[in-house]
Amino acid sequence: MEARPAFSIERSSSNQLNNIGMSGALPSSLSVHPTPLEETYPRFSDSQPAFVEKGLKTRTFNHSSHISSSGAVGHMFSSSPGYSTDLHHSSLSPHEKHSRNAHFISQSMSNMASVPLPYSSNNGPLPSTTSTHYSNGSSASWHADSLPSFLDFSVNASIDNSQVESSACNIMATEEFPKRNDWQEWADQLISDDDTLTSNWNDLLADNIQDLEPKAADPISKSSSQFSAGHQSQGHQQLPALSGENNVGVAPSSSANSAPAKPRMRWTPELHEAFVEAVTQLGGSERATPKGVLKLMKVEGLTIYHVKSHLQKYRTARYRPESSEGAAEKKLSPIEDISSLDLKTGIEITEALRLQMEVQKRLHEQLEIQRNLQLRIEEQGRYLQMMFEKQCKSGVEPFKASSSAIGDPSGVSSDTMKDSLAKNESEASKTDHCRSGPDQANGSTTLEESSLQDTSKVQASDDLKQNDNEDSAQPPKRPRTDE
Amino acid sequence: MKFGKRLKQQVQDTLPEWRDKFLSYKELKKLLRLLSTAPTSLLNGSSIDYGKAEAEFMYLLNNEIDKFNGFFMEQEEDFIIRHKEVQQRIKRVVELWGPNGSQPSEADYKDEMEKIRKAIVDFHGEMVLLVNYSNINYTGLAKILKKYDKRTGGLLRLPFIQKVLEQPFFTTDLISKLVKECETIIDAVFPAEEEAERAKEAKEAIVVAGEGIFRNTVTALLTMQEMRKGSSTQSAFSLPPLNLPDSDLIQSIQLNAAVPIV
Repeated sequence: MEARPAFSIERSSSNQLNNIGMSGALPSSLSVHPTPLEETYPRFSDSQPAFVEKGLKTRTFNHSSHISSSGAVGHMFSSSPGYSTDLHHSSLSPHEKHSRNAHFISQSMSNMASVPLPYSSNNGPLPSTTSTHYSNGSSASWHADSLPSFLDFSVNASIDNSQVESSACNIMATEEFPKRNDWQEWADQLISDDDTLTSNWNDLLADNIQDLEPKAADPISKSSSQFSAGHQSQGHQQLPALSGENNVGVAPSSSANSAPAKPRMRWTPELHEAFVEAVTQLGGSERATPKGVLKLMKVEGLTIYHVKSHLQKYRTARYRPESSEGAAEKKLSPIEDISSLDLKTGIEITEALRLQMEVQKRLHEQLEIQRNLQLRIEEQGRYLQMMFEKQCKSGVEPFKASSSAIGDPSGVSSDTMKDSLAKNESEASKTDHCRSGPDQANGSTTLEESSLQDTSKVQASDDLKQNDNEDSAQPPKRPRTDE
Repeated sequence: MKFGKRLKQQVQDTLPEWRDKFLSYKELKKLLRLLSTAPTSLLNGSSIDYGKAEAEFMYLLNNEIDKFNGFFMEQEEDFIIRHKEVQQRIKRVVELWGPNGSQPSEADYKDEMEKIRKAIVDFHGEMVLLVNYSNINYTGLAKILKKYDKRTGGLLRLPFIQKVLEQPFFTTDLISKLVKECETIIDAVFPAEEEAERAKEAKEAIVVAGEGIFRNTVTALLTMQEMRKGSSTQSAFSLPPLNLPDSDLIQSIQLNAAVPIV
């Protein structure tokens, strides 16, 4: 049966994950296991206009900013598991509760097998718990803001959506079934098998059950990942989702392995300090064990996988300076001075290094400046959008009689705007604001000029102002596409 | 295709392990082209295609962002560890050659200091390159989103970019802080400036060969300068031209192409 060889694959991959430690596994897990990628898709696909109609996806990429957490705690980025993992949520929750009860599992398996579609469609409301659990105000507010415009977009593409989704749902139904079955079988075998593996498994489940449970699958996310089924298989040497059981077998296993490891840890110097302290207390990097360090650190949300990978990195870093750092640096060819091909005196070396340092400093400076500018540009774009919405709201009454479709203040199509333009020239300033849509951060025309003058808040530099001269003459017909 | 070219150049010059971690700009553009050719008509076939192309585009976008985040956070973690290690190393040296330490020979001291200097400068360089990585990918994303909105008349750009701004790979504050701390350490570790005068005259034609941090840094600076020179789509929302205080210094550094830069 497929289960046997598939199981061994899973074991090796899970061992691999455990042995490598999560550090190396992060990028390698991204490449070896396609599922994190597809799992993360729904996270960002919140912004996907085409699918917004079906469900309000509150799962966003949960990035706790530095502000919101204390210095000592790292930042957890738990990605909402997407397609494949979602399949296993259903299996995992009963699994968790009756972890050694094979009977129940096979029971639940048959339950799920018989109702693939309804299960998936019921998961809509659940994601909200995820967002409350992990997200900040920022992610929630982003979602709220983006909704209107996406809803508008989805209106335009509605026909496409319905077709896409219906076909997707069909594919989805057939696909889920084999996956769930195999997953259950392996989960079964895992339990009955190796003790350490089981304890690991239970650890994983315990750690992450709170992550996984609320994050149920969305039909939308599933359907959207359908299209990429072909993609994944090519890109990541994982087996195509729609093919036979053998292939399907591996996918869930890998996702099962990667799902617990998924929450990405963002380390900070303070956290690292705590880590180093714990390690020293335990007798040094060689002697310390991840479990011990984890216990000593007492940091909430830190899992043993994070500690494991970090410890590994730490050990490598300590070992390197002693032996190979010199060699490693020689690989990166140093600067060559005109006086000779090999660096003669210490002074020349030092000066070469100094020069390198200067250039690096320069680059960093410029990068910071550039980043600030970019932030300001986006801020301005946001501000303009706000203003636009306000203007549209206040300007709606006089426009109501003339244009029919300005019902949705934030999602304004260009057609509507053309109408209002034609009919209400007198309301000059309002019209100006409304006609160039919110997304004029793309950089067109008159809106910038008027807003740059009006919005004294925005301290755009003189350079920025000079540059839009040539654009002001352009006709307002299709404001959004002007560049 | 200017950005695409510049990006390619950067990727070519970058550290080998970083090569595949940059934005797949070309691929995204290809998908965009597909999107704009598959019309949103009512015909069954083409609307499916459009939806498919769109989904692929979004999928790739999301993947790219995850890729950036993963890589960035991993590098960041490494840098945090190295930062501490560098500090420890210096402390050890200071103790060893300090009043209480066992004072080994002068040669050893020089040797060790040289090694440390090189290590710190390279460390600094790598961190700056990571910031550059973040920035270039952001720029690429902003450009591709702009193109998307232009081609499809959509409203993806603004909200999406707002989301990107919050991503780990874009929030480079920690790395910048480490960079600055590095610079302070370096000042302490480098000898006095008198010999610097002599060496300055020799700087006229410095040839940088091979793939290294320095080379990559210079490329990054020049690329940035080029990208901000001005374009057909320049507007009030574009970045102003780069203002490099000692651009002559940068210009004087010729890059000896290890690989032909197209």
